[in-house]
Amino acid sequence: MTVLEAADVHKRFGGVVALAGANLELAAGEVHVLIGANGCGKSTLCKIITGSVFADRGTIRLDGRAMRFRTPSEAARAGVGVFYQELSLIPQLTVAENLFLRRPPRSRAGLVDRRRLRREASRALERFAGAIGDIGPDHLVADLSADQRQVVEILKVLVDEPRVILFDEPTAALDNRQVEVFFDLVDALRREGRSIIFISHRMDEVFRIGDRVTVFRNGESVATMHIADTDKDEVVEKMLGTRIEAVERRRDAPKAADVAMRAEAIGGTHFDDVSFDLRRGEILGLGGLHGQGQSSLLRALFGADNAFSGSVAVGGEVYRPRGPRDAIRAGVAYVSGDRGRDGVFPVRPVFENFVAALLTRRRRARLDRRALSAEVGAVGDRLKLRAASLDALISELSGGNQQKVVIGRWLVNEPRILLLDDPTKGIDLNTKSDLYRILDELCMEGVSVVFYSSEERELLANADRIAVFNGGRVVDLLEGERVSELNLYRAAFAAEGH
Amino acid sequence: MTGDGQSQARPRFEFRRNTWILAAGFLALLCAVNYFLQDNFFEPGVMVSNLTTFTPLILIAIGQTYVILASDIDLSVGAIVSLVNVVTVSIMHHLGGDALAVAAGIGAGVATGLAAGAANGLCVAALRFQPIITTFATGTVFAGLALWILPDAGTVQAPEPVWRTYSASFVGVPFVIWSLGVVALGCWLYSRSRPYLTLMAVGGNIRAAFGSGLPVMRTRIAGYVICGLFCSLGALALTGETATGDPLIGIAFTLSSISAVVLGGTALSGGVGGVLGSVLGAILLGLISNVIFFAGTPFEYQNLIQGVIVLVALAGGVFVSRGGAR
Ligand SMILES: Nc1ncnc2c1ncn2[C@@H]1O[C@H](COP(=O)(O)OP(=O)(O)O)[C@@H](O)[C@H]1O
Ligand SMILES: [Mg+2]
Repeated sequence: MTVLEAADVHKRFGGVVALAGANLELAAGEVHVLIGANGCGKSTLCKIITGSVFADRGTIRLDGRAMRFRTPSEAARAGVGVFYQELSLIPQLTVAENLFLRRPPRSRAGLVDRRRLRREASRALERFAGAIGDIGPDHLVADLSADQRQVVEILKVLVDEPRVILFDEPTAALDNRQVEVFFDLVDALRREGRSIIFISHRMDEVFRIGDRVTVFRNGESVATMHIADTDKDEVVEKMLGTRIEAVERRRDAPKAADVAMRAEAIGGTHFDDVSFDLRRGEILGLGGLHGQGQSSLLRALFGADNAFSGSVAVGGEVYRPRGPRDAIRAGVAYVSGDRGRDGVFPVRPVFENFVAALLTRRRRARLDRRALSAEVGAVGDRLKLRAASLDALISELSGGNQQKVVIGRWLVNEPRILLLDDPTKGIDLNTKSDLYRILDELCMEGVSVVFYSSEERELLANADRIAVFNGGRVVDLLEGERVSELNLYRAAFAAEGH
Repeated sequence: MTGDGQSQARPRFEFRRNTWILAAGFLALLCAVNYFLQDNFFEPGVMVSNLTTFTPLILIAIGQTYVILASDIDLSVGAIVSLVNVVTVSIMHHLGGDALAVAAGIGAGVATGLAAGAANGLCVAALRFQPIITTFATGTVFAGLALWILPDAGTVQAPEPVWRTYSASFVGVPFVIWSLGVVALGCWLYSRSRPYLTLMAVGGNIRAAFGSGLPVMRTRIAGYVICGLFCSLGALALTGETATGDPLIGIAFTLSSISAVVLGGTALSGGVGGVLGSVLGAILLGLISNVIFFAGTPFEYQNLIQGVIVLVALAGGVFVSRGGAR
């Protein structure tokens, strides 16, 4: 019997297509897994079902009746609960208040019954007793670690006793013991006849807990299978599409063998025990699912996050940046796809955006506007920058051209090592190919690049080697013949630590 | 990822949860200084008279607190106070000043405050206008209305029963204390209610609150309406004290109410703090003026010194809470 059904759901965010024909049938008492690459629309579908995002087209049926929740609170009242991938906790409130946020227990006078609130919260927390350390109902959520918050979000969903539960990557930050407890809970829920959608990137979990699996690719549901009738290879194949075509390599691997940057067993906020040699003139790709430590690594290498443990050498010398200033002076540059946060001074002219980093490198250089303009203009031409003039405000440029300015800033600076943190996020195809061309040219000139991209194909086309990240560690280093889509997916979707 | 190294967070005494503590400390200090300058400071009569002077700001700061807790802000409180004052006094005056007229004036004043708050709330939460700009604009409208209703200060007086009652005592306890007692009870009840928890959640993280199924829009509107209510109570207290209609009477309250809230430890970013701190903050601001006055500071330095003291108090709060957060 079908409890929840999504039929032909479409959704665009501006120019981005998130869903293009998603179908899903959730049977009563089953655990239904959704799997698919980053950005293929799984979270969006969950949000459409629970009313925090509106679909452009398509229907959602609950118990056979077409429903269109306008807010998550309507969904909650209809018995549909959701675990949000980005969590829905209020850091300033306590664990107990968060757990019962929507319906705190009330005394006869109608006030919040704080004693009962704490008691019931303690009882809820007991489900994870021994696996989440020493947290109680009165702790502020702000003080909890990532895994503890995820556990609280799980319990918060269960407090409402929903009939239909959507778990959007609930295990991403959990350790093994916590995952075990969570799976026991899911088993119990299934036995009670509740219906569960479970999103995970860990293949082992999918096969361990799921009854059926629906595979998403580029916003479409491409197949639904019984777990018993399928295997990991088939699922990966469905995620990739039937034709596993070779991605055209853009250039030959570099000949030079000297090492530009050597990292030995470095660790930081979201990564651990990472070692690599970055050769002169090579592009080292960082692969894997989103948020497996790649960005954290790049930011740490640029000195923009907390210091890393382990040792790094640049050009044979110890490299230990205390901030971006040190990195810049060592010839290390960093470009992020998050232009708003990391790159652009929005209401300032293009010229100023270009020379921002130069000011750090040439400490005592006089700012000779005319000489610099010539330099900057040359770089702009090389990047095929389309701007009315160097005095135009950067916010008037398209996203792609803004990104060119941010990259140009570093070219003016003549870096030896370029760290790219998903640099093509949200820019158009033409600009992308301009950037690829520039990367090639830079490598020819001996610049070394560490390139993280959330788009697998971009990595495959540009990187000489790919270090695949999973759970903050490099689980595979693809080189030569082994640089392929299949190997990339296999490593990225493997269970943690394999 | 954390494995065995889970954080061993323990509940401990924290400024994040008792944000009013600092204001209380400063207040104690200031009372001591005040006592040193004015030896009858702790006599009941003097204390009540001080409290009476501070009451309008206390009430208005309480209202502002709820808006700020929801991560919004209200720059129209001063104008609402002026508007309520002229509406109340004009109605009492035109209806002849008897008991019925007084009741009608009070009712109209409270209704005006509620309506002004509702207007702010609708603009900010339902139409999603930016709070600072919106309430600045509505404040200008309210101030304009006040001037239109009563162009000149002092031309209309509140009838005698109003200020007589305000300064009277019942069962030996002054009216002002009774009123503040009722307000305290109301605030306490509200702080234990479900809507208050929702207000804090909305102020803490509005997207998470929406995702958790909370009525975000209704909650923000409620914040502004409650603020309007407290502005009208503050205006009534002010009317009882000054016994006159003045279309500019409220101007200074906008910024001083925000100062009181911040001095009281409530975060402008929302979700942290409470009204107790704001009450202490309002008294603090009042006592600072007192101290400056009794210290015999020359008139031309008074503002300067008051500003510096407020700045020092704020800086102290920032240092201590940063230290506590580590
Ligand atoms: N609020 C939003 N605004 C713009 N784009 C969005 C928004 N939410 C999701 N997207 C885009 O929609 C696509 C699908 O995202 P999502 O549903 O989060 O994928 P998944 O959960 O499968 O990783 C992505 O390209 C993402 O960037
Ligand atoms: Mg997702």
